[in-house]
Amino acid sequence: MFQSLRRVSGRLVFVLPIALGGGLVSPVFAQQAADDESRFLSRIRRLTVEGRRAGEGYFSPDGREMVFQSEREPGNPFFQIYLLSMETGDVRRVSPGHGKTTCAFISAKNGDILFASTHLDPRSLDLQRDEIEFRASGQERRYEWDYDSHMDVFVERRSDGELVRLTDAQGYDAEGSWSPDGEWIVFTSMRGMFEDELSERETRLAEIDPSYFGEIWTMRADGSEQRRLTHVPGYDGGPFYFPDGSRIIWRRFSEDGLVADVWSMNPDGSDQRQLTDFRAMSWAPYVHPSLEYVLFASNKLGFSNFEVYMVDVAGEKEPVRITTTDGFDGLPVPTPDGAGLSWTSTRHGGEGGQIYLADWDHDAALAALRSAPSRSRLTETPQ
Amino acid sequence: MNRRQILTGVSLSLALFLTLPAAGQTPEELRDDVLALTGPGTEGRAVGTPGAATARRYLISELEAAGARPLPGQDGLGIPFRFISGVEDRGSSLRAGGHKRFGSDQVKAFAFSETGEVRGELYFAGYGIRVPESAGVRYDSYAGHEVRDKVVVVLRYFPDDVEDETRSVLNRHADFRSKASAARDQGAAGMVMITGPGSEGAGELAPDGFDISAPGSQGILAVSIDGAAGDRLFAGTGVSLAEVQRSLDSGEVDAGSFPLPGFATLAVDLERTPTSGANVVGILPAVDGSLDPPYVAVGAHYDHLGMGGSGSLNPHAPPAVHPGADDNASGTAAVLALARTVADAPLTRPLLVGFWSGEESGLLGSRAFIRDEIRPDQLAAYINLDMVGRLEDNRLTVQAMGSSSVWPGIVERANVPGGFDLALSDDPYVPTDSSAFNSESVPTLSLFTGTHPDYHRPSDTADKLNYEGLARIARFTGLVARRVAESDPVPEFVRVERAPETATSRVSLRAYTGTIPEYATEIEGLLLGGVMAGGPAEEAGLQKGDVIVEFAGTPVLNIYDYMNALEAARIGEPLTVVFLRDGERHEVTLVPAARP
Repeated sequence: MFQSLRRVSGRLVFVLPIALGGGLVSPVFAQQAADDESRFLSRIRRLTVEGRRAGEGYFSPDGREMVFQSEREPGNPFFQIYLLSMETGDVRRVSPGHGKTTCAFISAKNGDILFASTHLDPRSLDLQRDEIEFRASGQERRYEWDYDSHMDVFVERRSDGELVRLTDAQGYDAEGSWSPDGEWIVFTSMRGMFEDELSERETRLAEIDPSYFGEIWTMRADGSEQRRLTHVPGYDGGPFYFPDGSRIIWRRFSEDGLVADVWSMNPDGSDQRQLTDFRAMSWAPYVHPSLEYVLFASNKLGFSNFEVYMVDVAGEKEPVRITTTDGFDGLPVPTPDGAGLSWTSTRHGGEGGQIYLADWDHDAALAALRSAPSRSRLTETPQ
Repeated sequence: MNRRQILTGVSLSLALFLTLPAAGQTPEELRDDVLALTGPGTEGRAVGTPGAATARRYLISELEAAGARPLPGQDGLGIPFRFISGVEDRGSSLRAGGHKRFGSDQVKAFAFSETGEVRGELYFAGYGIRVPESAGVRYDSYAGHEVRDKVVVVLRYFPDDVEDETRSVLNRHADFRSKASAARDQGAAGMVMITGPGSEGAGELAPDGFDISAPGSQGILAVSIDGAAGDRLFAGTGVSLAEVQRSLDSGEVDAGSFPLPGFATLAVDLERTPTSGANVVGILPAVDGSLDPPYVAVGAHYDHLGMGGSGSLNPHAPPAVHPGADDNASGTAAVLALARTVADAPLTRPLLVGFWSGEESGLLGSRAFIRDEIRPDQLAAYINLDMVGRLEDNRLTVQAMGSSSVWPGIVERANVPGGFDLALSDDPYVPTDSSAFNSESVPTLSLFTGTHPDYHRPSDTADKLNYEGLARIARFTGLVARRVAESDPVPEFVRVERAPETATSRVSLRAYTGTIPEYATEIEGLLLGGVMAGGPAEEAGLQKGDVIVEFAGTPVLNIYDYMNALEAARIGEPLTVVFLRDGERHEVTLVPAARP
């Protein structure tokens, strides 16, 4: 059966016409199922409950706060951004409350909270109402992420609570994160769709799949010096700096959007290297604070079966599977001290993902990576 | 404490917050309380017994030590309530037509019968089942028959040879009380039940149900008679009861409703034994010293099964102390711990602490309390702890989340420091005291760590509890209570619609599979929390963690599907169970047994 699945968990979005049967099970599964997630994860706990879904939880550098997105604002069916105190459990909304938002991140320099939002779009409230009516009609998209061209990057300044706009290009600007020193922001922009000269084919693509135009950009903390780092056709997105700021990790889709892999590059865009080649969707990479390995999500085991994996930071070994529980497991984010792992999961059985946290056995992870077989193919391509 | 302090630099303060033992909430203190509640003199704490009184004295003295005051208007922390502890049939009889009078050796009153004497014509009404139209199955033993002021004679159970789906619906309306209600609603003066010659236990008198102490009668005289007496009632009709039952079993509803010859006098003489039990209720003042409602209420039942009895899953074993360490010394100890903490650090509203008795006999204490001692609007919310001592894999079940819109937000915030892998369920109709509060429109939350093979057995002992987990649950409950106290206005109550056709009478479940369902889960299918040792499920190879997705050909999406499917099971007849284990589909054959 052909199906078109649109789904987002924030930093990844894909639209795929692809043939897949329900019973697709990799032969690898049986062998790997024996390696239960409990060898890496213990004391699993659920962090978010309220609202239809939540995800994209990122810690402040001291681990005392987590910023995340959740569909819980009364009257707004879209994600808004919330700040959670890991000490008391208190939660406050950061974003304006209307419109769509995604992908927040807390600055190590001053606690400023970066996120993307469409709230300046005068149609915001109409779009909210339309979506609520659509859902009330009983229909439901798997998830519609439309790369709203009104999406821009904003920062809540912690010193005075002001909301500062950093990007104003036409086209989707989102999926941003801070450099460890808080001086730079790396983000995804689809502005090329409006700014570049498009071929006839690209003009058609712009109508059906804006994500094709997703590229990695950097800018200073005040929004100046916006610079494009990637130039390869297909969706580049979900970038983060390494914890020491030495490189950037991100995910690159093939031009046809069927396959995604984890890549890293220098902060100026040079030395782009591919770390995975599962021939599946491998995305949402995040580098562990030890700088030894990258956590990411992949559907290697089946189209709709996402699990968390890790791969050594150089991508020399085969990735190791982490999660083994039914349901979606993705968007892994280690705690700043490296002793915990947070991720988004539907393991509770509901429709929408919620954020989980577990104790993480770093030593077991290193041991598993050491014994992983070497990767058969290692590709390096020029940018 | 043995919790690993893994979050080193991250937040030393976070680690401290999570692990700092509040007064009265260390695992050791909780163990002391559980040992006191299951210790010498408590004898299983059955409602109305000296054992329960021993436990109650302990609770009162501990609560008083923590500074709890009586609920305004009460003399002390103990609040007595009356209940019926037993029913004795002092000689019921049936005289029919020209036959002799059948006495107490052949006639036995149902515990829910009225006492008195009625006279009326005899009328046979088949299986005496009326299925409501909403059930989707048409079956009415009374359709087209006038039984007003008559004494109806009905068969026990329900027609056997019907499709499984029909069977499970019929079963739900075939318990003794339902049949008595159906007869009463038709205006009948009395109901006489026979275990038909074609049924299991042919000719036997109906056994006592588990609901002897349930308050109130069914509003009709109701007895069962033995097979010999039953046959005599059919004398002179030209058909035998066996023939009639055969036609009924083949699905001909009308085959078996017709007048019987003669006039009957039915007499019932029941004596109900009134007994006194007692709840323990204390108020801890708010931070401003206030004792005025609305209260944040937290409670647990402290009673258990005593020496066993009909609630025991070891009913045929000799009487033995059922210590009920998990059920529910665990919840009692956790609430006590919470009370001590709140005494040291009061909430912004006063805290009402309730220890209920008679839960095991049908929520007697909590129902009496909310009916007689307090107005529901004086309670901001009620948080219940029942069986919270067996935390495993960090998994805490929180039920009744649907009873107020505030719960998801409050539970989320409490669980950030609480740190549980939560299993959440909206359903407030849970088999514990919080149901009594839900019926009175009080928002409830019910905490639970799952069933286990020691449930309702003498082996539910104090050494099997996870005290570290229990201490964490007490702290988590405290965080929830604190946020309820700070909710202004008080949480609004949301009435959750009861899933249709779920009011299953467990008494009428005839086939036994030995599965222990996990009640709170959003998983599609029925997650097994365990299997009873030596039970049919274990024999079939099922185990904890399996998810049953099909039972006897019926798809199972949730516990209700499973309960329905279960009713279609027949003792000794193999059926197929399809289940998921590690994501893979398996199939086994299970042979239901008679309930042990």
